[in-house]
Amino acid sequence: MTSTALARFANEPVLELRRAAVRARLGEALAGVDALLPLSVPVMIGESTRAGDELLSSDPGEPERVVARAAAAREDEVLAAVAEARAGFAAWRRTPARERAAALVRAAAWMRERRLELAALEVRECAKPWPEADADVCEAIDFLEYYARAAVELDAGAPLVQVPGERNELRYLPRGVAAVISPWNFPIAIPCGMTAAALATGNAVVLKPAEQSPACGLRIVEALRAGGVPPAAISLLPGEGDVGAGLVRHPDVATIAFTGSLAVGLEINRAAAELQPGQLAIKRVIAELGGKNCVIVDADADLDEAVPGIVGSAFAYAGQKCSAASRVLVHDAIADRLIERVAGAAGVLVVGQAEQLGTEVPPVIERAARDRIDRYAALAASEGRIVARAEPVPEQGWFCAPTVAVDLPPDSAVLNEEVFGPLLTIERVRDVEHAMDVVDRLPYALTGGLFARDPTTVRYVRERTPVGNLYVNRGITGAKVGRQPFGGNRLSGNGLKAGGPGYLLAFVEPQAFTENTVRHGLVV
Amino acid sequence: MPELEPEIHRVGEQLAASFPSSVRHPVRALDARAMELASRDRELRAALFRFVDVVPACRSPDDVARHLRDFVDEVPDVPSSLAAAMRIADVRAARPALGAAAAAGVKHMAHRFIVGETPRDAVKVLRALWERGVASTVDLLGEATVTPAEANVYAGRCLEALEQLAAETPGWPERPVLERDCSGPLPRVNGSVKISALTPLLRADAPSIGERDAAERLRPLLRRARDLGAHVHIDMESLDSREAVLELVLELLDEQEFETGPSAGVVLQAYLRDSPEQLATVLDWAHDGSRLPPLQVRLVKGAYWDHELVEARQQGWPTPVFEVKADCDRNFEALTRTLLDARPQVRIAIASHNLRSVSHAIAYNRLSGGEDRDLELQVLRGLGDELQDALAANGFRVRTYCPVGDLVAGMAYLVRRLLENTSNESFLHEQASGRALEQLLTAP
Repeated sequence: MTSTALARFANEPVLELRRAAVRARLGEALAGVDALLPLSVPVMIGESTRAGDELLSSDPGEPERVVARAAAAREDEVLAAVAEARAGFAAWRRTPARERAAALVRAAAWMRERRLELAALEVRECAKPWPEADADVCEAIDFLEYYARAAVELDAGAPLVQVPGERNELRYLPRGVAAVISPWNFPIAIPCGMTAAALATGNAVVLKPAEQSPACGLRIVEALRAGGVPPAAISLLPGEGDVGAGLVRHPDVATIAFTGSLAVGLEINRAAAELQPGQLAIKRVIAELGGKNCVIVDADADLDEAVPGIVGSAFAYAGQKCSAASRVLVHDAIADRLIERVAGAAGVLVVGQAEQLGTEVPPVIERAARDRIDRYAALAASEGRIVARAEPVPEQGWFCAPTVAVDLPPDSAVLNEEVFGPLLTIERVRDVEHAMDVVDRLPYALTGGLFARDPTTVRYVRERTPVGNLYVNRGITGAKVGRQPFGGNRLSGNGLKAGGPGYLLAFVEPQAFTENTVRHGLVV
Repeated sequence: MPELEPEIHRVGEQLAASFPSSVRHPVRALDARAMELASRDRELRAALFRFVDVVPACRSPDDVARHLRDFVDEVPDVPSSLAAAMRIADVRAARPALGAAAAAGVKHMAHRFIVGETPRDAVKVLRALWERGVASTVDLLGEATVTPAEANVYAGRCLEALEQLAAETPGWPERPVLERDCSGPLPRVNGSVKISALTPLLRADAPSIGERDAAERLRPLLRRARDLGAHVHIDMESLDSREAVLELVLELLDEQEFETGPSAGVVLQAYLRDSPEQLATVLDWAHDGSRLPPLQVRLVKGAYWDHELVEARQQGWPTPVFEVKADCDRNFEALTRTLLDARPQVRIAIASHNLRSVSHAIAYNRLSGGEDRDLELQVLRGLGDELQDALAANGFRVRTYCPVGDLVAGMAYLVRRLLENTSNESFLHEQASGRALEQLLTAP
């Protein structure tokens, strides 16, 4: 591969599903994936692989259907994987940035050729409805392409002040072995993004995908290796929490990129702070955690836009997005009208299997999730008032009825804890300032929304909000790489923005170089 | 057809001679001074349109004034006269007066495009049009339909409007040009219906869900129209819903109970690159069915150009619309000829304010052996008034699209019309800015 300059970054276009001819291709892709089930997902350490079936992933819409039989990495395999990564790092860091970028771009091409097949796998393994599954694959491609370019730019270093007689340079060097611990809700995009960022900057990666989506994790490793990333630089450790914990504690793991729950994120932060025997570097944790995302609706909002924006943000993919809307704070003057319209719209949400086009609310990921969400819905019913519940839901699969609740007391757990399911609450506020007081009291600060038309109001909220991503007069999910760099503040994460200009800085350490160029009083 | 161009010019000149001496620019309804400023300054123009858009959602004259000031504040180089006016908004006591005046201005403008708040209010205007030799189609404006209850309300309003018009129109005087073409009688009652208002379930990636839901509300409407002898025209909106709309209409009209009525129509949008294929689908259907009364096809340029372009750019999709005006105009003429050649299986309505497009349709119709009464011409209330009068004066059948509804409901319509027709590309803009007739009638 020649290292010619890469074309300017552009987002991978999602499928134009409004065209019948495009929709017609989906069924075949799904049948193709179904014919391969169950997939086998091995532990992959460098060139060696070990198959196993200690871990099963299943179709949330039809739990008897096994999607993947995966090996669960053992303790010795965690050690072996990190050792392999250390060895791989030595060579990968010396590979010129342009060549590393070229490998990622080829991995993107590999995924692009298999877009429908990859999306179909997400439909099965994570019950992602087609449009969302397709968008996830596109986002994975975007991360590869975007970080490839960003890493080449970063490799040029940064300009410094120069004076006669000395040469000053700043370069960014990879940190070493990175552990990537990823969730199931964006089963290809998120692990692919964190992995691509680490690899693009010259780190070696051990990837531990969510136990619910090991097959999606496997595809990422296949893509990267097919693109030319050396096997030693990217290993795959399917498994449960113990595998992640083992990686976090390992003295040779320098960087931990994690996306998941607040509880696990805090535990990783704590464990990473403890110095292990033989550890040479302070571990860096990149954490993208939960949210309790509020949408503010001012009295002058266009409800024709606000209602679909809110309903889509709250219920698409059954609310299982860290960016999803969970609380609406609406101005008293229009509260009745908004509640009536949101309730009416939520009541006719299409609840169904992910493979059916038109499905808005698919089953949630697993039984435990369904039980947890149902408990919150029951709590909402006892502490407040349910104004919409799209029932009945299909019997087979982990379905939760989309629910809208109002009149909850301010200290209700439903208003303060992350539910991560199709449950939306609506509260009345006196005005936007009152709404901002509510937002400001929350420990989470991931996404936020505002429907308002007065530019003064927009400016006020923008200046006051603590959230990492504020969306005005649109839905609050669906961040695009390069357009909406994504990540939260406060307890929602450490503020780094995936898919944004600064993200790669988390995976490198700067090195300042100064050489005296004066010899015998002469500048040479 | 070598005689076509000379005939187009003859028709165009004849129509132009019937125009009032100075054609009003569509935005003259806005404060002339403000619009003159706005047309020079993109930012100011955006601010004024955003203001017009928010007026119905404001709670008081004070609130109106505050919004106006805040929008104007966003504009970098506010002309000094406007800045002075805005300082009034900072005086608490004066704010309500400024707000009331501005709201009245917007309302005044809206009334130019919207014939009444209810069908009952509209009847007077519709009758006056009829007496002047102008037919109408009534469009009930509404907020977006996001719930089943809203869909039911809209369907109910449509039924009510048909009933009210059917009760009124028998008392209207005879207007033979408006009431019969070579395929037979034409209903006096004519309503335009939006499928997106008949269901909250239109989804671009799953058209069948919305189709099923809308069918439940469209069937009773078709039945009532059939029994009342009214025409129902199904409007077309953005490309996201096109498949659902066209499939739904053609399937329902195929149902046995609608074999002989009501008179119905669909819309073809010439700005879509694939509109020729769409037309082929419609003509195949019409040819197979040989339905009587024939399906009417309303040919329009299309009103969602910005939306289609923005959506395609944001998603990285190929642009579904022509980006060059001349390409769109040429396609409009090609579709016109295909449609006229397809009679009598379909009835044709050419809906355009472009004198060239209208003259082309009339000329081609004549040269291919059609009678003038076999071609319907349509214009929009408030935008095509001059053309409407010129067409009526020359004995053509012209039908004016008349929106009915309150200010909140009408605002999206109003803003879209204003934006579309004040763009520098629009025919009305060219015409109002004094381009020579010869140039206006030149082939695209």
